[in-house]
Amino acid sequence: MRKRSLVLVTVDCLRADHVGFLGYKRQVTPFLDSLAEDSAVFTQAIVAGAPTYFSFPAIMASRYALSLGRDMLGIAPNEPTLATALRESGYQTAAFLAGNPYLTRRFGYRQGFDQFHDFLGAALPGERQAPIVHADKRPSGLNRRLQAASRRARLTAAAYDELYFWYCQWRSTCENLSMDELRRYPAADVIVGQACSWLGQLGDQPFFLWLHLMDPHHPYYPPQAALSSLGVLDISARRARFLNSFWDRGDIGSRRLQRLRAEILLLYDAGVYWVDKQISRLADSLRVGQRWDETVFVVTADHGEEFLEHDARYHFPESLPEQLIRVPLLVRAPGVTGVRISKQPFSLIHLAPTLLEVLDVAVPETFQGQSRWKQIVAADLPSEPAIVESIEACNNPFRLEDRIRPRLLAIRDRECKLVIHFSDETSCLYDLENDPGERSALPIGARTRERVRLLQAARMHLKKTNHNRNAELILRARVDELRQTIEMRRPAATTSPVLT
Amino acid sequence: MTQYRTVRLPEDLCAQTEKWLAGRFDDLESFLSFLLQELARDDGSKLDQAEEQLVEQRLRELGYI
Repeated sequence: MRKRSLVLVTVDCLRADHVGFLGYKRQVTPFLDSLAEDSAVFTQAIVAGAPTYFSFPAIMASRYALSLGRDMLGIAPNEPTLATALRESGYQTAAFLAGNPYLTRRFGYRQGFDQFHDFLGAALPGERQAPIVHADKRPSGLNRRLQAASRRARLTAAAYDELYFWYCQWRSTCENLSMDELRRYPAADVIVGQACSWLGQLGDQPFFLWLHLMDPHHPYYPPQAALSSLGVLDISARRARFLNSFWDRGDIGSRRLQRLRAEILLLYDAGVYWVDKQISRLADSLRVGQRWDETVFVVTADHGEEFLEHDARYHFPESLPEQLIRVPLLVRAPGVTGVRISKQPFSLIHLAPTLLEVLDVAVPETFQGQSRWKQIVAADLPSEPAIVESIEACNNPFRLEDRIRPRLLAIRDRECKLVIHFSDETSCLYDLENDPGERSALPIGARTRERVRLLQAARMHLKKTNHNRNAELILRARVDELRQTIEMRRPAATTSPVLT
Repeated sequence: MTQYRTVRLPEDLCAQTEKWLAGRFDDLESFLSFLLQELARDDGSKLDQAEEQLVEQRLRELGYI
């Protein structure tokens, strides 16, 4: 019998409550909904970190992102990962990642892959290279002077911002760009096309294929065909450009943004629909190649997305609401059908070791999660809280000073969630059963038993990850980062050895 | 006043490193000083410690430590 293969599809920004198999009403995921019937479905899959740069170390290396220190990003050199474990076991491995700047060889994700394409460099054969278009250009000298003058009073500042926004919109109407030209990332059809070509050249060996799809990521420019399939005929590329520009405004309150929320959601959902359609194409390709039956097929996400539920947009780590940390997860494995893991949270820290057990491959000792496969098959997960960690307001992790900031920690079990903001030493406890929208934190003194249980889990987590650090991996990561920093320095540019 | 220490390194390793540095640092000593400073830095450990203490303090306030 042939060894099982693995396909892992990760979708950037895909929220759990926007897929049909977890209850979303709009029909955007018909293929995944049908696949869910033959899969283990996790209704409470929780990421181990957010956003992408704090989530993926857990998905690929089963390690909490901050457990090598908060100044480390990505995977350390020679750190064992899902890919390295499988390649060492004789798997052919390939990754096709739709241009996420944090999932690159610089951050260690290349390790373990025979083929690695991050779509950030030169075009692959058959890849459509869409020009990157910036919606708003830098203000001219005159505009900069006007802007500075307007800042003297709140009213004139608001008036200037408003006028400048509409001026930019007026200017952009001169350019007649299509959705494909406006999109910043390769769409799922490009990524899946490359993956299918690779699958077509495979021999009889088992394989590991990782796809990362960016279609639901902002700015939201889905293929026009996806919008049409959802019956949305009145959002043109020009309208989508306006919607994205308006949605991106930092100078107005959420009340004004709310007016466009429904249309923004249509664009986002169309991105999700396109992902679903292309995953279906990938499954067809596996069937045609007679590899489907033996393939373990996994779909999940690195984090969700916010649409003003708590006045926030996108996925900045300023809080850790359910919209950001709860993601879809389905594992389709031969012999497992219709298992539904509901209520009990499943942390993605356990995903990689679980998948290795399904494939009968040894789990590396550095993995912090544990296989839960036996409990999943029995639909009986252990009762343990999921931990999510991030650095508060770390929006640009390329800057070290953005990473050396207080942590943001969420401890989430089936009933309650505690979010600790270490920056201002506050914590919020939510009763998820009675307040799933996390509208109001419980007062101090309420649900003390739950608060204590979650605080104890936080304490254990911090102790475990701060005091048992892998010194060898840390040293390797630092040396690698320094090597890259030094190589980027211009020779003889400065006599000061201090780098920023 | 800074005290200095002499370190012995193989000549061919020094030459190879200088070639790789290609003028990015004044000399090998400034490069090695920079390298050691960077490797020894521990920017996050104070934050780690403060975070652990905060959680313990909360548990203490609730009477669970």
